[in-house]
Amino acid sequence: MSIKFNGYLVLETGEIFQGVWHGGIERAGEVVFNTSHSGYEEMATDPSYMKQIIVLTAPMQGNYGIEDKVWESKRIWIEGFICVQIQNTVVDQKWKKRLTDYQIPLLSDIDTRKLVLRLRSGGTPWGAIVHAADVLEAQQKAKKLIQSNRDLEKDWVWIASRKEIENRKGQNPKGPRIAVLDFGSKENILRELEKRTSELVIFPSRSKLEDILSFKPHGIMLTNGPGDPQDVEVARETIRQLIGQIPIFGICMGHQVLGLALGAKTYKMKFGHRGSNHPIQDGILNEIYMTSQNHGYAVDEKTLPSDVKVTHRNLNDQTVAGFYSSEKNILGIQYHPEACPGPHEAYGLFNFFIEKMVGFPK
Amino acid sequence: MPRRQDLKKVLIIGSGPIVIGQACEFDYSGTQACKALMSEGLEVILVNSNPATIMTDPEIATRVYIEPLTPEALDKILEIEKPQAVIPTLGGQTALNLALSLDEKGILKKHKCILLGATPEVIKAAEDRELFRNILDQVHAKYPQSEMVRTFEQGIQLGDKLGYPLILRPNYTLGGGGGGIAYSPEEYHPMLLEALNESPTSEVLVEESILGWKEFELEVMRDHTGTFVVICSIENLDPCGVHTGDSITVAPQQTLSDVEYQSMRDEARKILNKVGLETGGANIQFAVHPTSGARVVIEMNPRVSRSSALASKATGFPIAKIAALLAVGYRLDEIQNDITKTTPSCYEPALDYVVTKIPRFAFEKFPGSPDILSTQMKSVGEVMAIGRTFQESLMKALQALEMDREGIPDVNFQVDHVSYPNSKRIWHLFQAFRHGHKISDVFNWTQITPWFLEQIDELVQFEKELPSQFKKDSYLSLLQAKKKGFSDARIARVLKMSEIQIRQSRWKQNIHPSYLQVDTCAGEFDSSTPYFYSTYWSESQVKPVVQPAVMIIGSGPNRIGQGIEFDYSCVRGVKAFQKRGWKTIMVNSNPETVSTDYDTADYLLFEPLTAECLLEIAHVFKPQGFVPQFGGQTPLNIASELVENNLPVMGSGLEAIDRAEDRGHFSKLCRELGLQIPKAGMAGNLQMAFKLDTEIGYPMILRPSYVLGGRRMEVIENRDELASYFERHAEAISVDKPCLMDQFLAGALEVDVDLVRGVDWTVIGGVVEHIEAAGVHSGDSMGVLPPQRLKQETCEKIEVLSKKLAEMLDVVGHLNLQLAIKNDVVYVLEANPRSSRSLPFVAKATEIPMIDLGVAACLGLKAQDLKLQNYNWSDTKTVSVKGVVFPFKKFPQSDSILGPEMKSTGETMGRGEDYSEALMKAFISSFYKLPLEGEVFISLREKDKEPMLPLVKELVLMGYTLSATSGTAQYLAAQGIECLSLKKVHEGRPHCVDRIRQGLVSFVINTTTGRTAIEASFDIRRACTNLNIPCLTESDTAEAFLIALKKAKRGDFKTQSLPPMKSV
Repeated sequence: MSIKFNGYLVLETGEIFQGVWHGGIERAGEVVFNTSHSGYEEMATDPSYMKQIIVLTAPMQGNYGIEDKVWESKRIWIEGFICVQIQNTVVDQKWKKRLTDYQIPLLSDIDTRKLVLRLRSGGTPWGAIVHAADVLEAQQKAKKLIQSNRDLEKDWVWIASRKEIENRKGQNPKGPRIAVLDFGSKENILRELEKRTSELVIFPSRSKLEDILSFKPHGIMLTNGPGDPQDVEVARETIRQLIGQIPIFGICMGHQVLGLALGAKTYKMKFGHRGSNHPIQDGILNEIYMTSQNHGYAVDEKTLPSDVKVTHRNLNDQTVAGFYSSEKNILGIQYHPEACPGPHEAYGLFNFFIEKMVGFPK
Repeated sequence: MPRRQDLKKVLIIGSGPIVIGQACEFDYSGTQACKALMSEGLEVILVNSNPATIMTDPEIATRVYIEPLTPEALDKILEIEKPQAVIPTLGGQTALNLALSLDEKGILKKHKCILLGATPEVIKAAEDRELFRNILDQVHAKYPQSEMVRTFEQGIQLGDKLGYPLILRPNYTLGGGGGGIAYSPEEYHPMLLEALNESPTSEVLVEESILGWKEFELEVMRDHTGTFVVICSIENLDPCGVHTGDSITVAPQQTLSDVEYQSMRDEARKILNKVGLETGGANIQFAVHPTSGARVVIEMNPRVSRSSALASKATGFPIAKIAALLAVGYRLDEIQNDITKTTPSCYEPALDYVVTKIPRFAFEKFPGSPDILSTQMKSVGEVMAIGRTFQESLMKALQALEMDREGIPDVNFQVDHVSYPNSKRIWHLFQAFRHGHKISDVFNWTQITPWFLEQIDELVQFEKELPSQFKKDSYLSLLQAKKKGFSDARIARVLKMSEIQIRQSRWKQNIHPSYLQVDTCAGEFDSSTPYFYSTYWSESQVKPVVQPAVMIIGSGPNRIGQGIEFDYSCVRGVKAFQKRGWKTIMVNSNPETVSTDYDTADYLLFEPLTAECLLEIAHVFKPQGFVPQFGGQTPLNIASELVENNLPVMGSGLEAIDRAEDRGHFSKLCRELGLQIPKAGMAGNLQMAFKLDTEIGYPMILRPSYVLGGRRMEVIENRDELASYFERHAEAISVDKPCLMDQFLAGALEVDVDLVRGVDWTVIGGVVEHIEAAGVHSGDSMGVLPPQRLKQETCEKIEVLSKKLAEMLDVVGHLNLQLAIKNDVVYVLEANPRSSRSLPFVAKATEIPMIDLGVAACLGLKAQDLKLQNYNWSDTKTVSVKGVVFPFKKFPQSDSILGPEMKSTGETMGRGEDYSEALMKAFISSFYKLPLEGEVFISLREKDKEPMLPLVKELVLMGYTLSATSGTAQYLAAQGIECLSLKKVHEGRPHCVDRIRQGLVSFVINTTTGRTAIEASFDIRRACTNLNIPCLTESDTAEAFLIALKKAKRGDFKTQSLPPMKSV
């Protein structure tokens, strides 16, 4: 039990949180919190968490072990994992081991409540998780880490995106062909599409318009992804040319880039939405339901063109959760209909895309 | 859509008296719903037969009816009130069943009344297991293999087919009543008979066993547009096989992955939609196979429930309130989240803490009933605790139980105490690890999910290392121990120090808990709701408390002898303090209560009621003082420790409490005042007792020191029984803890007096005359106000004496006195310097705002500040009778004979224009059938035969036929009374019990004394308990029953609403 409080989260704004270091390597990233009760493995492998240190409000983590099948991509993307208590008994410490095996720093025994209130009131700064003997050492290490990591490549989507085209066979021979523009896609978007399509082609985020069109897709999916949507310049231009030509469905980052391509503006939210309990009013399915959310940016409603209607709202703060234009046949959804983690009620939007927007089965 | 404009007036059905399986959680939900609907401008009519509730306080609804929950009474109330709708989903199964019968009898239709929240179809779909299984089939949900059994023969065949063990679930019963697990045909056959008997529709679902599966529950809500939210997920530590009400449970669930959890959530949504629940709350129970992950649905309830109360307290989401608003037409997104004030109620709470619930049991009250848990609920109360981690919350909950100060005491480990679920299993789990047993062993014995076992094991390993760690680093080791939830008392035991040393060491090193807000959203949104829990894991979030503030200590888990009536006092006390400009800090650990609703007090602290926790609260919240007199015995027991630590007591001081509570002091005081008290003595062993017995005289009443609810109290008649008593209770008696021996005033009339004393005033709230003579615990006696047998002058004498006693004790605030009257002499039996069990009944019967006066007394108000002339209890025009309900049925080997040890779980109130009407209502509300004809079986002890002769003759005149055991029959024949003579059980068959079991007897009068005679007649009473046949074991009860029968034979009765409480 000789417990050592030798791990630190140092925020760029100066606040320090002391906890127990469980291994991994020291890393820096934007510090964000997620209120989902379960789904740590899905979150850690979600590319949208690139360059982010994730703070879990649910205090007990790692309780149900690990499961390869739930990975949302091929790697762990988070830069750090922070919680109150990590499952670390003799019998089961699989999640702890997996994180540290992947060199992700893990801090437990952190006063996450205080940290979350700090993030809520002051926004989400960068921070670093370090292993240090004292506060001074922690501060020095953190400063360096934050400096050297924060200004690399701006287009994070490009980092998270596949660099090669990937073809997948769908499970519905009578379904459409869908092109996916990969901004750092969660696997379950692809799984949901596979169920409903005959063929999927997944393109890197900077793919050329001609390459995409050469596949003759019936519809385009713009996926989730990390970072600031304004940095995604190539795809924005590509999408601008596709609007009106072909049905487009954007999720999260895809929704934001779609908004930018329409001429709207996006803005960084104070601390974003991350959790599995956000109520959404869905004007397309005509329901109110709980959703899975993970975004730090949003589309500014006032800047959307007049023929694009805001059809989905986050009922907690009335922000834009989705827009639709029947003329242009485009749909943007800010949250995650693919769930994982989170509730499944919004799966119907995939059906809407395939059946109503793409028009399959014909 | 906003609320329905066609609704102006609604009627809410309460849940009746507290019984095992249906307790004060429905007071909480009903009260919350009433408040919500009243603030919507609706007229709310409330019907409930339980006087101990907050919801039956006249202020809670537009009009309150304390009337029997029967179709006849409801018909009358609907006729008077003509509401547009009835809400049946807030009063448990009682209210649902009553609603069904109102529907079936056409009463709703007659009064053009609709059911809101759940339609008869929904109620049936959830309760009728066959209908429910059809629904599950339609949504492709799985359930255990089972069949509905309607006859014994069919059941036998099915048993052979499904194999053992088997689970029996009778249709339409409460808390799994009449059900159980059968491991062999020998066990199965009698259980099947009983279960068929128990179901009002004679239907029993016989089910393949899912013993050892993991058990989960989802608390869900839905509005009329179909928006669906899960308020809380709950995971049972005890696997399937133990009723969920008897299981230790944890929220939110801890061991399901998101994939598994979402799949369960999807299934719950589908089931709810298919059942057709239009709006409101429901719970759905699931079982998950520990290795394959296969999932089955166990059951669903389309109403608020015990677990929804728990879920509300665990999350801060007020399920009952929202359910009420949804019922009148709102959508979830139209209702604001009370806690954040900025977000809507259509969301799922996110928790950044862990909640543990532990049930509390009363097996010690029912000797002969084995302490083994099964599918039939046995617990009488529960505690909840909140911590940042599972360990912290579990350990806090164990302290909150008030069973042991350390929380996890050392016990004599026995494997069967782990492998057979029982009320103390959790202690033995800890002990198993202390003895070095492996997680795999304990898992094999228990099938408890290893995750939980690991957590417990880790605590034990920590405890083992604590002494050496403490030597190395006292600060860090103490802090870690507190983070893991160890009580100071336990740390002291482990370190071989005193609790005070630990506390001092902790305080010196500034190790204090912090207080975090329960905000429904894990900190995501700002909230100002003052609902807090303590933890050693975080920094505090408390803003300075506005003064003056007072800390009110609740009554903790419900138990026999201390229940909902003390919550009434606490809640009313909070309101009374608020009216006088005080801020209130409510502390309690019982999730079923109104006092732990976040909008009852200005600050709610969900904490164990231990001196340690209360002192920490005082350290941060800085109240001017604390009030111990509302929460029953619990706060009184810790008052001195709080005062010693400089927390001032408000109301009666420690000296006054001690004068009343300490029997030596109290007897001395009485003697000084010239008051008669029963002759008494104390003996630490039998030899000492033998020296005293001639002086005290037989019969005498014996009990160990420091008891609540008359635990181990017995009346004994002679030396043999005296010796037997000392033998049987040896472990509770010692020279340090002597046995109290009191003269027993056989045949005396007993009364309860509740009064309030201020600086220069005293108000008598009322004198409740017990219907049963001395010897029956006051909590188990029926009572009547105003007294019916007491002489006017005796009554006056009692008033004078009571006031004098209050003055001499120097109580400030409440005083409850128990007196006995024999041959016009008044004896003082007991004084309780606190609000009492009878107080809510008295206040409602007399309209005197007793608690408000108690608060006025605590605050030092003078006679001139109060309208004392208004409070004259003898002005009361209506007659009120207190009825009592017992849990004998749930404890198979228990005897329904009444004695000095309290056994009842709840009470009812019958109000009438005269005694007979009030009695009749009280009996009906207490689940007595009132047979208007048929055979009465009589078995009387010798000394009752003559005095009861008039009563027996009366029975004949009323048209009943008689049967009796040979002795009584001969006596009656000699008196010229026709009577069928039956064999006693030991005289061979067919005997009297056979006749009762055949259903040929309408009711039974059976009086008996002495251990041997009591044992010999046990089967008679047990048969009655099993078959719901009234069995009157006291001559006075029998007389009262006859009065009620006569009234019932005359037919009609009236219902009337409770008048408002008089103003202060």
